[in-house]
Amino acid sequence: MQIPIEYYLILSAALFMTGIVGVLIRRNAIIVFMSIELMLNSANLTLITFSSYLGNSIGQIFVFFVMAVAAAEAAIGLAIIIALFRNKLTVNLDEINIFKW
Amino acid sequence: MLESYIPIFIVMFFATVIALGITFSSMLLGPQRPNKEKLSTYESGMKPVGTTRERISIKYYLVAMLFIIFDLEVLFIYPWAVQFKKLFAEFGISIFISMFIFLVVFELGYLYAYKKGGFEWD
Amino acid sequence: MTLEIVLFVIFALVCLVSGILMVTRVNPVISALFLVVNFGSLAGLYLTLNAQFIAVAQVIIYAGAIMVFFLFVIMLINPEHEKRFLEYKPQLKIFAVAIAVLVFLQIAYIILFSKPSEGVSREVAASVKAGTIEQIGRELFTKYVLPFEAVGYLLLSAAIGALVLAKKKFK
Repeated sequence: MQIPIEYYLILSAALFMTGIVGVLIRRNAIIVFMSIELMLNSANLTLITFSSYLGNSIGQIFVFFVMAVAAAEAAIGLAIIIALFRNKLTVNLDEINIFKW
Repeated sequence: MLESYIPIFIVMFFATVIALGITFSSMLLGPQRPNKEKLSTYESGMKPVGTTRERISIKYYLVAMLFIIFDLEVLFIYPWAVQFKKLFAEFGISIFISMFIFLVVFELGYLYAYKKGGFEWD
Repeated sequence: MTLEIVLFVIFALVCLVSGILMVTRVNPVISALFLVVNFGSLAGLYLTLNAQFIAVAQVIIYAGAIMVFFLFVIMLINPEHEKRFLEYKPQLKIFAVAIAVLVFLQIAYIILFSKPSEGVSREVAASVKAGTIEQIGRELFTKYVLPFEAVGYLLLSAAIGALVLAKKKFK
């Protein structure tokens, strides 16, 4: 007896929605960034589910590339957050409004 | 295939149970007579100064960043190293060159970090 | 077989609960630690899907490297104003949660309605073979060499960019 594919897909959707709630309600830039990582991971879960159920390793290679992109994104994104913190002395997204006119 | 991972799951289970069990059993079973001195932060007998969350230096950031990038490089080398003999027999030198280009590109980043002083501590 | 179901239930629960706790904790350090738990349980889920190599990579890259990096940056940033993030806008929160639940119900309805399990049947042998490091190495270095080299350039640009951004006023 095996787990139906729907369970994995619904779990992944729930994780994605958790990430979206995090992005919407939190104002700390780092936690928003972590929520984005959570959303990336839920997409990875979907890819691996389909890869496993179709018996095809393309999905897993794609996840591998997603991981590389996530690492690069973390390095650059956190560098930007640090640069913002140096200029504005805050990581609260509501206070970072110098682009607002 | 999942059966072959049972030892790992057992280790994970016991690690979790023992860690949580020791923490909470001392909380539940031990005698608790707190006073102000006991509850204050332990700082080797000195009066505690400041908060737990001190700001650390940005040097650590550079080290962590370089660690991530080179960690990924190693992760990309694993599947290549496992399959190298078979693929080399099949496709010849091109399999070697593809990894060589990748490594050269990486070493450019390494060289840049070295020239910028990313590895110097102070 | 039942082992798979037991593991799926455990890991899925840990995954969801730690994700929700990650979003709701005030202290960013605790939040980051819950995200580590979440990534660990995702690695367990990948094992139940027979993706062994990706499970190991998940632990090495996400739980091992990226989250350590996040913790470093949380420590770099002055925590004195954390209380300010609590500035509470209840209507915004309720609105966000309501939207998320609605979209989730929509997605769940689509998933259940389209019945993907009729289209795919899982052959355990095929999925085990697809997840081994040999198979991934083979595909990666024969069909997907170009993306692989592109990842090299991406990481090079990430290293240079992060150094430039962080090192400006360093000396």
